[in-house]
Amino acid sequence: MLLLQLLINGIQVGALYGLTAVGFSLIFGSTKIFHFAHGSAFAIAAYVFYYLYSVTAAHWLVAALAAAVAAVLFGILLDRLVYAPIQRHEGSFFTVFVASFGVGIVVQNVLGMVFGRSFVAVSTPLSRSVEIFSGVFVSPLAGIAILCVALFFGGLQLFLMRTHIGMALRALSENTELVRVFGLRPRQLSTYAFALGSLLVVPAAILTAAGSGINPAIGHHVMLISLAATIVGGVGSLRGAACAGLLLGLAENLALWVFEPQWSEAVTFIVLFLFILFRPSGFFGRAVTS
Amino acid sequence: MVFFKHSFLAALLGVALSFGTAAQAQEVRIGAVFPMSGPNASYGDIFGSGANLAAEHVNADKMLSGKLSIQYEDSQALPQQGVIGMNKLVNVEKVPYVLSAFTGVSKAISTVAQRTKTVAVNGGGVGPDMAELGPYFWNVIPLANFEVRAMIPYLVKERGLKRVVLVYVDDPLGQAIRKELESALPATGGQLVEALSVPNTAQQFSGIAARVRDAKPDAVYIASYGSQQLQIIKQFRDNGVTQQLASYSAFSVPEINAFPEAKGALYTTQNVDWTSKDPVTKRFVDDYKAKHNKLPSAYIANYYNAVRLFALLAKDLQKKGKPITGENLLAQRIETKTFDLVGGKTSFEANGTVIAPIQVNEVDGKGGKAVTVAHAK
Repeated sequence: MLLLQLLINGIQVGALYGLTAVGFSLIFGSTKIFHFAHGSAFAIAAYVFYYLYSVTAAHWLVAALAAAVAAVLFGILLDRLVYAPIQRHEGSFFTVFVASFGVGIVVQNVLGMVFGRSFVAVSTPLSRSVEIFSGVFVSPLAGIAILCVALFFGGLQLFLMRTHIGMALRALSENTELVRVFGLRPRQLSTYAFALGSLLVVPAAILTAAGSGINPAIGHHVMLISLAATIVGGVGSLRGAACAGLLLGLAENLALWVFEPQWSEAVTFIVLFLFILFRPSGFFGRAVTS
Repeated sequence: MVFFKHSFLAALLGVALSFGTAAQAQEVRIGAVFPMSGPNASYGDIFGSGANLAAEHVNADKMLSGKLSIQYEDSQALPQQGVIGMNKLVNVEKVPYVLSAFTGVSKAISTVAQRTKTVAVNGGGVGPDMAELGPYFWNVIPLANFEVRAMIPYLVKERGLKRVVLVYVDDPLGQAIRKELESALPATGGQLVEALSVPNTAQQFSGIAARVRDAKPDAVYIASYGSQQLQIIKQFRDNGVTQQLASYSAFSVPEINAFPEAKGALYTTQNVDWTSKDPVTKRFVDDYKAKHNKLPSAYIANYYNAVRLFALLAKDLQKKGKPITGENLLAQRIETKTFDLVGGKTSFEANGTVIAPIQVNEVDGKGGKAVTVAHAK
């Protein structure tokens, strides 16, 4: 029973990791910007939802829409006001990373000042588990998390495959110069990538605020998982990032069956290390040839 | 011309020196290394509220010939950051007395305190080995071994909760609590059925909740701190852990006391009677309530006491015409023996740790209430 419980928990946690990782992978894959502040978009969405739903008692749909607007706006503004000027001055990959890291720290502190630096959680009966059979507890949030992954990932795939912007984004991840030759503007496409990537963290942020609670520093953990999932899944592969997120969530939880909880986070990095060692291109990444 | 130039420079130097001396006489500065950012920042706010109130009272009473001020440095509750802050306070600010918090940080800065003969005073960390950090490291809080020794007999004998699971952060404090539970539980007829260690960065506890349920305990003892302990409580309650929760003084923060999922949780703190007529306690409680519109917690009282202790010692040193140095403060503490602090007359053990009774509190989800008192020395 413990194993089954851990499996169910792993799928729920992995679904949230997958959603977050897909957003980061989309941005990193198409723009090559190491968007460390992706975790900040997550934290902003979570706090906006928490404030509107729990503090002002707004309808959950209004709160969710506001959280989405806040995350998308944050992504777009960051791209336009921080990354674009750095890239215009031909700033290196490292310069962009440092800027993004700095924004992450600033957002963490601003959230701390506005909402307090302690833990907050959205109180909802949906997070309370019920015993479905002897010793196995499942909360409605687990079902919602899996549904969200299916909806958002399916929607994203459709968008990327069927729309002009989607196809342009895919092209951007392949060859920026060629995109320019075809008369498209990589800068504008980059903004679309940030908007979409930031939107993808919103369901995970809301479900995390309700399921495990949040604090201003939560962005770091989100970023760590997103990065690991992107590498394990194969850089640029959205399908890979989603599968890797699920794998990491499962590994983290199933490790508890054998090991002390102390080791469950380390398992994430053991998986990452093994992939780097034996399959550096990840699940679905392309093999790098010289 | 040269004579005038030299005279003018000498006069300027004289004026500057006299201003410097006057400025020194006007201010008596101590330091504090508290977490002011990161997941444990809320503790820094809580600790600072007690320390600042004490400084206000000391200055209002003109206890010292000079205004008492506190220079804060951010430790983020991390040992490395704590040492950076401590080095700045000791080497740049030249403070003789530093307030410290968190077991890891306190242990890390204690070596600097011993080397530079600067008094470091802990009012928040409760790792039992903090009693052995040398003569310049003092504790104005009873340590966790006393808290566990008070909680276990209450759980086992009063509540009949014999099977206990421990969920602890794998750091010196958590390990000390585990060691204490391993000896205290069998001695009172209880049993530690499982001890689950978690990293202090962990945020997912649904899987650990499954392990806890699987062990079928009567009570779950949580030895964590900061945001993490709230996440543990929420996720345990959400994931079917309905057993009695218990902890140490880390639970004595407003967030826990107002947290609906924590309702009914038990935790230990030193015994402070907030309704006491003792003038120091009454003034502290009244002024804190007037300022913050709520009752203070034991942590706040501890840091109030830490600053008040400094003022009492410094006052005696100033009366004797001695400089306020770490060495003199230590000598004066040994000489004075008892102090009028919040909670009544207080004395220290030879190792610099305060002697205080312990009480068991119960979270009511609104602000907390004491349900019983167990004394331990």
